[in-house]
Amino acid sequence: MVPSIGKLQSELMREYYRYFSKYAKGALPDRKVAWVTSFAPVEILEALDILYYYPESYAAVIAASGKEQEFLEQSRALQLTCDCCSYSCCMEGCIEQMSGPRGTPPKPDILIATNNQCSTLPNWWNILADRYKVPLVILDYPGETAQTDASSYVTGQHRELIRELEELSGNSLDLERLTSVITRSEQSVAAWKKVTCLMSTRQVNPTVLFDDINYLITARCKEKTAELYTKMADEFKELPEALSDRVPVFWLGYPLWYHPDRYLSEIMDGFRISGSNYIAWWNLDYSGDDVFDQLYHAYNYTFLNLSQSSRNERLKQWIDESGAQCAVTLRNKSCKCDFVSARLLKLPQAELQIDMIDRTFPDLERARRQMEILKEIVCTK
Amino acid sequence: MRLLALSGFVPEAVCDVERFVHFSGDRNIAHYCGYANDYISQVITDPGIDGAVFPKSCDSSRIIGSYLDSCGKFIYQIPVPPRRDRAAVLYLAEELQRYHQSLEEYYECRLQDIPDRMERIWQRNRMIGEAYDRLESISYTDYLQAIHSCLKKPLSEQKFQVSSECNMGLKKRVFLVGSFLSNERIPAAVESVGLKIVGDDLPESGRLRNQMYPERDTVYASIAEGMLLNRLSPTQSDFERMIDRDLHEIHKSGVDAVIFITQKYCEPYDYLYYIFRKKLEAQKIPALKISVTNSEDSGKLELILDAFADTL
Repeated sequence: MVPSIGKLQSELMREYYRYFSKYAKGALPDRKVAWVTSFAPVEILEALDILYYYPESYAAVIAASGKEQEFLEQSRALQLTCDCCSYSCCMEGCIEQMSGPRGTPPKPDILIATNNQCSTLPNWWNILADRYKVPLVILDYPGETAQTDASSYVTGQHRELIRELEELSGNSLDLERLTSVITRSEQSVAAWKKVTCLMSTRQVNPTVLFDDINYLITARCKEKTAELYTKMADEFKELPEALSDRVPVFWLGYPLWYHPDRYLSEIMDGFRISGSNYIAWWNLDYSGDDVFDQLYHAYNYTFLNLSQSSRNERLKQWIDESGAQCAVTLRNKSCKCDFVSARLLKLPQAELQIDMIDRTFPDLERARRQMEILKEIVCTK
Repeated sequence: MRLLALSGFVPEAVCDVERFVHFSGDRNIAHYCGYANDYISQVITDPGIDGAVFPKSCDSSRIIGSYLDSCGKFIYQIPVPPRRDRAAVLYLAEELQRYHQSLEEYYECRLQDIPDRMERIWQRNRMIGEAYDRLESISYTDYLQAIHSCLKKPLSEQKFQVSSECNMGLKKRVFLVGSFLSNERIPAAVESVGLKIVGDDLPESGRLRNQMYPERDTVYASIAEGMLLNRLSPTQSDFERMIDRDLHEIHKSGVDAVIFITQKYCEPYDYLYYIFRKKLEAQKIPALKISVTNSEDSGKLELILDAFADTL
């Protein structure tokens, strides 16, 4: 029998949360544990049978469960300023209190941070390293800032990471296994693209996409992920066509994790979200002649690690594909790198001040007025 | 050629760069480092500046290019690795060589005096180091002003000189930690409430004086190693080593308290402070954090410092 979408989702979730304190009931993981940032080359860890967890994603889960204020307050009390990334503040509070909607992730044996999305994460990982007293690996991806060929520099770091993880886990890397793991990641990305491209033409609920990209982040190299997304795409194709009496708008920035709809639905009457950059961030390009080349391309050239002109180009393509007539551009307190990608837009936009975790941040009345003005601009054009 | 540099990660050895200190410009980027914001304002509005060079090292610096791309000036970003291993040094060396070539191409000139410049920088840093060792008997504000005055000039015109000896008497001894301290009113205020600054870990002082150029195969490798290994910034993501080194100096200098001066929305220093404060607390060393919003703000400092000095 072919498993349903719900079944595949619950299987993936069960696998990921198995060792979180709420479910593990004191049982320790049977493998070594790494805490990683969202754009870490997890294919290497998967191929070496190392468990990996994403503190950023868990902060989103905490906000979705309504617990973020308690943890933000706790981190403030510990004197971690709330000017820092709210993901980190939320997780510091969670770890300090040893609680969370699913408990806490199993303690790490190693911490791996990358700088291919922002430079804040390596700093945050330093405070985790101080807490857990475990090795910290920082992977440097120069991205398009590099004026020289960085492939051997990055590949050298990947090889060094493999050596360190082999030592930690006692396992040897099988290159064939790594190849098949990367293939699974590629399949997940390809299937997810088929899901997201339906957003502009069908009545796809954006909340579902904001939530379900989670599998591409935390489980991109699992076999079930591509299967799940393929089924979702098949289902979405059967949805009614997108409503033509709503203004198609591009959501530029993070989902608001604390919000039940993940976007400010209460101020978006008359609009429909027809696209978003966030849901394309993990469409990594694994092209290359061998596994190391593939990993280099995928992780060195993430969207947030591209030059401004490449980002603008790609953004323009996404916006054109979405058919959006305007954009909601989020100025996110927690993510400077994200905002700039919207600066050179040539279509009308409402710029809203938000934080993706902290629900006290937006001035809703002001945002409502901005959206009304935006609608007026689009409708009278 | 008049290049404005944002950080100590922009090498002075390749050509003259003017270190950005402060600017009274438009400040309109929300949730963004005020120092970087002021730097952007000066590059855009100062007609005397024809180029901007900055590292990719923190979130604010990594997106500066997006604000400057269309200003029509020479804009260059150096990808500084957050690692300090041999491969990182060699990679940075290649990037510095490329930076050198880009300058020559853009300005249609030859920049051939790197070894001579390295020697001059070393001499200047040695003098800064000698003054640093005399902080017990000189005014820290004078010392910092002398450094800033140097860094704003071409290397050949730099003359590091601290005005005079001054006997500060018996005072509480403090150590400064933070990013580039643009606003010289801040150390002046610290001294005015009767606190003696006996050491620091500021990029333009405590760290600059430690910068040396080891002999390597190429000048670029030598500069790269000098940048990555002889100094530490929180953007290099090795908090443990940085804090250990500072704690060692704090103990050696018999410091009574530590003052952190951070830019609002400067996450590397905010995260560093979070750990540093815990370690100081464990050793019963008082710490004060002053957060400033731009390159000229003094963070209502006088009032805060008065209260802090009283607690010591």
